[in-house]
Amino acid sequence: MGNVERCDKTLPTNEMMFHVRRDAVLRARFASDLEGLAREFKLSRAEYEALRDQDPRRMMDLGVHQYYVPQILRLFFGAAHNSNASAALECYRRAYPEETAQAMALQERLERSR
Amino acid sequence: MARVVAAMAMTHSPGLTGWFTRASREYQELALQATAEMRRRLEAARPDVLVMFSNDHLLNWPINNMPEYTVGIGEEHIGPAEWFDEWLAMEKYRVAGHATLARWIVNEGGRRGLALSYLREMQFDDGISVPTHYLNPDAQFRLVPVTMNCTVPPIPTPERAYQVGARLRDILAAYPGDERIAVIATGGLSHEPGGPRYFWVDEAFDRWFLDLLKRGDHAALLRECTLERMEAAGSGGTAELLTWVLVLALTRGPADMLAYMPAVAWRSGTGMVVWNEMA
Repeated sequence: MGNVERCDKTLPTNEMMFHVRRDAVLRARFASDLEGLAREFKLSRAEYEALRDQDPRRMMDLGVHQYYVPQILRLFFGAAHNSNASAALECYRRAYPEETAQAMALQERLERSR
Repeated sequence: MARVVAAMAMTHSPGLTGWFTRASREYQELALQATAEMRRRLEAARPDVLVMFSNDHLLNWPINNMPEYTVGIGEEHIGPAEWFDEWLAMEKYRVAGHATLARWIVNEGGRRGLALSYLREMQFDDGISVPTHYLNPDAQFRLVPVTMNCTVPPIPTPERAYQVGARLRDILAAYPGDERIAVIATGGLSHEPGGPRYFWVDEAFDRWFLDLLKRGDHAALLRECTLERMEAAGSGGTAELLTWVLVLALTRGPADMLAYMPAVAWRSGTGMVVWNEMA
């Protein structure tokens, strides 16, 4: 099926993100001590490094649920004005240049045709 | 007996509130006109309560324990959840719940072979908050939120969503009260939240799906619009249209398409429809 089926439902990052999104103290820890937080939730070194490096492709290759990936980026870059030009979403341009370029070309085409 | 008096569906993309002005002026106007028309028709139907079907974006349940359906049974609902208010650019809102009806749905579901989880306090992200912003901004209608799983494998099929909708139609009709109920589906159209095609919108799929709704042929839609087809149009997001399929089971005949926008800027095919005839 689609990309969502690549997620590893047992991956510690997926468990951690459920709690981090709901808890301001954990969100602060994410910003100040990601490595310690990752250790507490038993993330592998590869998971921690993918998060630290803000790399959507590596996160998803490891099995992070795709819905959590932009949420992880928001923890680094903030939640406001999460438009396609935001710093958080620049990470997607780097990780998936081809897919992102196609989408941006589509947007340009749609806007030109109207 | 309770009666379903209105049925409608709309996209709940966070861009519709969080970065609304990033889309073209034309799309902004279309979205505002369509949601205003939905609200006008909703008010004309005079519902007492909105039963709103959305999906849980892994906010209320962890990935290791995601129920297929969850009913919010609180006396009052408050949103958006902390951290989502900034993302959605929304102030906190409060909407009265309808605990008696919500608990009836859960318990009658159990008696009729439909397993429904429940939460007394449900957290809301874009799924409930964006439609509430446009359709119930003054909280004049009570709310029963129902979330479903559209994003954690195994994702239910459209046939299953339609069967659940038919069961819920009977459950609502059997409710021992004279409530007027509006059913509202939120989610879709094509999008792939967080996936490699995060910025992509599949206009061809969206227009095809909306045409199926306009034809009003439920059997044809269930035959042609498979889960595989939804996933191909955007994994983990397009299947939010399962809420639309669920609500379809409470309707009859063609839907009015109020607007469609392949809004890459909002990262979602964006549409609004209303059904005129209830099943």
